[in-house]
Amino acid sequence: MLQVLIQGLLLSGLYALIAVGFTLIFSVGRVLNLAYGAYLLIGGYTYFYFSQQLGLPKFAGVALAGIIGCALGILKFQLIVRPLKGNHVAIEISTLILAVFLQSVVIFVFGDSSKILLPIIPGVERVAGAAIPFSNLFAAIASWVILISLWLFVRSTHMGRAMQAVSMDAKGAAISGVDATKINMFTWALSGTLGAIAGVFFASYTQLYPGMWVAPLIIAVAVVIVGGIGSIIGTLIVAHIVGFLEILTSAYIAPELRGVFTMLLIIVILVWRPSGLFGREEL
Amino acid sequence: MGLRWHHFALWGLFAVTLFVLPEFVSRGTLRTLIFANFLAIFAISWDTLSGRTGYISFGHPFLIGIGAYTTAILTKRFDVAMEISIPIAVIATMVGGLIVLLPALRIKGSYFALVTLAMMELIYQLVQVIRPDLTGGTRGMSGLPTLTRGAVNGYYMSVSLMLAIALTTWLVMRTRLGTALSAIGMNEEAVSGSGLSVTKLKMAAFLFSAFIAGLGGAVYIHYLGSIAPRALFDINFVFTIIVAALIGGAGTTVGPIAGAFFLTFLLEYLRPYLPGAERYMVYSGLALILYMAQPKGMWELFFQGIAKFDRLGRRE
Amino acid sequence: MSAKLEIRNLVKRFGGLVATNDVSFTVEPGQSIGLIGPNGAGKTTIFSQIMGEHQQSSGDILIDENEISRLSTPQRILAGVSRTYQVPRPFSDMSVAENIRVGLTPDSIWQMITRGPNPDRELELAESVGLAEEQLARLPSELSMGDLRKLEMARTLATAPRMMLLDEVFAGLTVNEIAVISKLVQSMRDDGMTFLIVSHDLKALEPLVDEAIAINQGQLIAEGSYSDVMADKAVRASYLGAE
Repeated sequence: MLQVLIQGLLLSGLYALIAVGFTLIFSVGRVLNLAYGAYLLIGGYTYFYFSQQLGLPKFAGVALAGIIGCALGILKFQLIVRPLKGNHVAIEISTLILAVFLQSVVIFVFGDSSKILLPIIPGVERVAGAAIPFSNLFAAIASWVILISLWLFVRSTHMGRAMQAVSMDAKGAAISGVDATKINMFTWALSGTLGAIAGVFFASYTQLYPGMWVAPLIIAVAVVIVGGIGSIIGTLIVAHIVGFLEILTSAYIAPELRGVFTMLLIIVILVWRPSGLFGREEL
Repeated sequence: MGLRWHHFALWGLFAVTLFVLPEFVSRGTLRTLIFANFLAIFAISWDTLSGRTGYISFGHPFLIGIGAYTTAILTKRFDVAMEISIPIAVIATMVGGLIVLLPALRIKGSYFALVTLAMMELIYQLVQVIRPDLTGGTRGMSGLPTLTRGAVNGYYMSVSLMLAIALTTWLVMRTRLGTALSAIGMNEEAVSGSGLSVTKLKMAAFLFSAFIAGLGGAVYIHYLGSIAPRALFDINFVFTIIVAALIGGAGTTVGPIAGAFFLTFLLEYLRPYLPGAERYMVYSGLALILYMAQPKGMWELFFQGIAKFDRLGRRE
Repeated sequence: MSAKLEIRNLVKRFGGLVATNDVSFTVEPGQSIGLIGPNGAGKTTIFSQIMGEHQQSSGDILIDENEISRLSTPQRILAGVSRTYQVPRPFSDMSVAENIRVGLTPDSIWQMITRGPNPDRELELAESVGLAEEQLARLPSELSMGDLRKLEMARTLATAPRMMLLDEVFAGLTVNEIAVISKLVQSMRDDGMTFLIVSHDLKALEPLVDEAIAINQGQLIAEGSYSDVMADKAVRASYLGAE
């Protein structure tokens, strides 16, 4: 029981981190960025390359993953999102193509087989018969730290408030002197950074392979939409619903079915309440 | 329907060209062509739904998979003859099309795309977990009965099926049904404001698309003789179908065919120069550039040219 | 053949906002009524409730004494009522003829496939609203605002309505274009069409209506002859924005 609780919390923290980078883009830029999963992929492999193949310190590996994710976010905004000028279908499709492209780049460089990431922090703690790898604990704590700082950032800094303004009303924000393009680019950069770092944690939680980005992408999108666009609290709650649902399913029903229930939940809620459980009504 | 003699002449020419092709090309090229034919079928199916009505499906393998698995299970596990199992598979896929329709009655745009993606992921996980004794689990099934033997026969079968589906789709889309479906993609409210039931039209589009997907999927696995869930419910497969339709030109019938042949041959001709995974890099990179350059596809460029020429001619 | 529209105690709430507040009125067959009020008064919301694009919170909408509130938009069009939109929204990638064709299409998949389009009828409709034959092949993006409104009228007329709801038909038009649309509405009135017309251009509206209804903040504030309504104190105040 305690084991389920702890594992649920660990996984949910990770999902929240994955989803939060996505919600930034979806609420500020109003764009379904299907290449978001590719940040996770690139982040995971960057860490693998620098820390495990080149032997750099682990912290440096995570930082480099963040930097490359950030650069990727900016490039994506400048080369794809801006030229397509708010044509949503075109952005969705081209980001999907981009994700497939990046996946093939990864296969080209690292091969098709899956890799095991060494734990970021080795060691296991036993609590009430539950084995908790330090690595996962660290990932969950890091997720929470990042989420709280992000929340503080959005609420209390000038940049954060400008992001909120653009997310609520892009035109209104432009009239009051907010440079929406600059805000958007910043958001893409931030989202890329968060995605890549989340990718390192996610890959160390599961494993590193070229197709690893699809499932977390669906979960991220779903958590965001189900939680309500632009609602960080909603995102957190739904990340925990999904996280616990998966852990409970694998503990009490069958481990192979964990993904099935997640997808069912996503489909049912999206069809039943398209505006999400906690979001404002739109679309 | 505004049919002119040159329409028939062009279709006839196209069909004759495809039918005499085996006399001139190698077996290897023929196998490539077979794949191009099936890809064209799937792209046409995607296009009748997404290209026309604007409901972008990211989970088309969901439909193809229902058709493929139904006939695979029936023939392999229950010894049903293919003549019976394939029609059943098509009907099952159409029922699946109605399942895809349900979300489309309430949600649009990105949300619909996402639900279809989740449906594909769902069925991928389900076939691996639920009754692996029937579905073959992660490994899929092999040793399925095949419809044809040899590349030449396989080619004739695939080309006939592709041409039949393409011609039917082309004829249907030239009727007022086609006009109404395209109208949904442009402005759904105005369609119902014109007195047409959008639900009924969407249902027609989903059933039509599912019919083609189910037929194509069922025949495809009886050409291959095997079925593998990882290749079928793969994001790369979705990517190839969508890109084929889009590069060729969504909302047209010839566009998806042109796109499917272009993509298949691009991949094939890159093989001698780039034997490994870099081929897919070039392939997807090129697709991205082409799509960014003209989201409406090559066919649109061609039509724009013709229209300009036409208008110049008329003004003189 | 003209239709009668009756609205009883119509209420529409959006969350806390009451967009339509207990509105009742009747448009007799063949009558033309102007619906006036300042911006945000709730005129267009009434239109969308009549057409079923929004479902009312309570109240009844009757066409020829039949309650239509449970019908879908296409079914209401079949019952005889059609509307135009403030901002014309043609099918952008279709020619003028194809736009009209969508309006003429029967609501049956089978008939859509088996019965071809009727180019003569398309031309007839286009000409009846004052579009020229050579414009049939044009794309909406090549049309002027006036021609777009004509196209919208033609597409609405294609559904064979017995009553039309016109939303800001004169917005964005030149004086000449106003005259053409005005003449068109006049001739349809002579043929017995029932009208409910929303317009900010009161000068253009006046000759087209028998009576007027004024609403403000979702409430009906005056009804009667056009001049009486315009002379009403509450109506004048609402236009000036004062209480």
